[in-house]
Amino acid sequence: MKTTILGIESTSHTFGIGVAALIDNKPAILANIISRYVPEKGGIHPREASQHHITEAPKVLKKALETAGISINDVDGIAVALGPGLGPCLRVGATLARFLASYYDKPLIPVNHAVAHIEIGKMMFNLSDPLVVYVSGGNTMIVIQKKKRYRVLGETLDVAIGNLIDTFVREIGLAPPYIIKGKHVLDVCAEWGSNFIELPYTVKGNDLSFSGLLTATLRIAKNISKDDRNAIGDLCLSFRETAYNMLVEVSERALALTHKKSVLLVGGVAASKYLDRKFKIMTSIHNASYYVVPPEYAGDNGAMIAWTGLLLYLHKRFIEPINAIVKQRWRLDEVVLPWLPD
Amino acid sequence: MASRLIKIAHGAEAILFKTMFLGYDAVVKIREEKPYRHPVYDRSFRLRRTITEAKVVSQLKMLGLNVPALFFIDLSNYMLVMEYINGSKLSDIIQSLSEDYVEELASKLGIQAAIMHKNKIYHGDFTLANIIISKGEPYIIDFGLSGYSTDIEEYAIDIHLLMRSIEALAPEKAEVFMTSFWRGYCNILGKEFCRSIKERVSEIRLRGRYIEESLRRKIRHERYM
Repeated sequence: MKTTILGIESTSHTFGIGVAALIDNKPAILANIISRYVPEKGGIHPREASQHHITEAPKVLKKALETAGISINDVDGIAVALGPGLGPCLRVGATLARFLASYYDKPLIPVNHAVAHIEIGKMMFNLSDPLVVYVSGGNTMIVIQKKKRYRVLGETLDVAIGNLIDTFVREIGLAPPYIIKGKHVLDVCAEWGSNFIELPYTVKGNDLSFSGLLTATLRIAKNISKDDRNAIGDLCLSFRETAYNMLVEVSERALALTHKKSVLLVGGVAASKYLDRKFKIMTSIHNASYYVVPPEYAGDNGAMIAWTGLLLYLHKRFIEPINAIVKQRWRLDEVVLPWLPD
Repeated sequence: MASRLIKIAHGAEAILFKTMFLGYDAVVKIREEKPYRHPVYDRSFRLRRTITEAKVVSQLKMLGLNVPALFFIDLSNYMLVMEYINGSKLSDIIQSLSEDYVEELASKLGIQAAIMHKNKIYHGDFTLANIIISKGEPYIIDFGLSGYSTDIEEYAIDIHLLMRSIEALAPEKAEVFMTSFWRGYCNILGKEFCRSIKERVSEIRLRGRYIEESLRRKIRHERYM
């Protein structure tokens, strides 16, 4: 018995196509091809990102099928991330998915991008009920499963952590590019520093707020000369320390509240090894096991959409192509998932 | 003076021990070092939060609220000794409670929260895990993130946190709980103040990520009506 699903991701800067399969009840990722839009200056421009996706889509699709060693006819269903994300970007994936589903007469499966980030992590480590910390450019959430849904236990009240970090390095003139040789420029900059400066720290129960931290840090940065590497380094170090501590503290609060046995870190920011180290220490204090999704599947990718699409396929959650409309603000906790416990 | 210490809980930021203190059942709360934090930061945090908790809890006790009495404070060890409240955390028992009892507790809690806010104190971590039910009465505990403010934002955040906590832990009881909570709360603070808090709470909820735009627009529209 083999079930094969093709998944399309295009919610933000990444266009990705993955192929997931269930072979004799064993999950397998057969392909995971991505192409990422990297802005020349500033942040993500939705229109330019979508143009990048349009150009790249056919190549990525071809390569994904080649890598999986299948033809489009062998696929049992087409899964697509319909949200949340940037409208123009989402529409590229949705258009391709509608076309593939109608032309090749395959069921079309709508996938929530945030659910997919979680499900791929659960599959990789075979977890049934972790406390999920979802950190990316657009999201910062503490999530648990309850009554067939993922419930948000805590989240940012303003900026997402990935966005916070990128905005900071951009505003002080260090980016783009945001990643140099696999390392975020914030981490590079933090290595220049050694002293700790106290910065605004806002934790409200399980929620956090980063806007005060950003404003205050940028205000201090204004008065530092660009050549003063030590001073900039101290600021980067303190900024990172403060933001990560806030995140670890709200996660710790949620862990103490829910008594979960495991913590799963997902999303693009999960690749940070400094955050990883803090989470390792925190979870060991509470005797919880800790898992972090490897970078290939932590950042936006098509494999996670394909895998979640496969789970939905098994429960026959299809839509007609004509109804496959993108939802920019499709919240994680709106989605009822049949495989989650009551 | 103090007798044997029995560890009763390992919370997010402190270890709790049960003991006897001058003949009373007591809790010893020690804010531990967090190895994932920068040490400078860690010490200033623990100190500040221990002081705040001591201050707020003793003021609320004097106002007659259901909070533990403060017995002793030792800042060099980031330690507080407080009255032991014998009961269960609302987060642990909420699912087994009858609807009538939930209504009664929520309304009593609303009164407690209203008196706290009326005295310009916010809790900062107002979740079901920080409410103990003892002999049919709700006790509010853990004031480490609390503070003094005249900004209604802080009061609204308390209620937002409570709402989110019940929605996550017992979604089927959330509506009954919040309706009764508001009843108790508004009885103390009056209709007008209550309305402005309610408005702020819904505004805060809309700041969360990815709220449906139509809902956001609807609320924005209502604000100008």
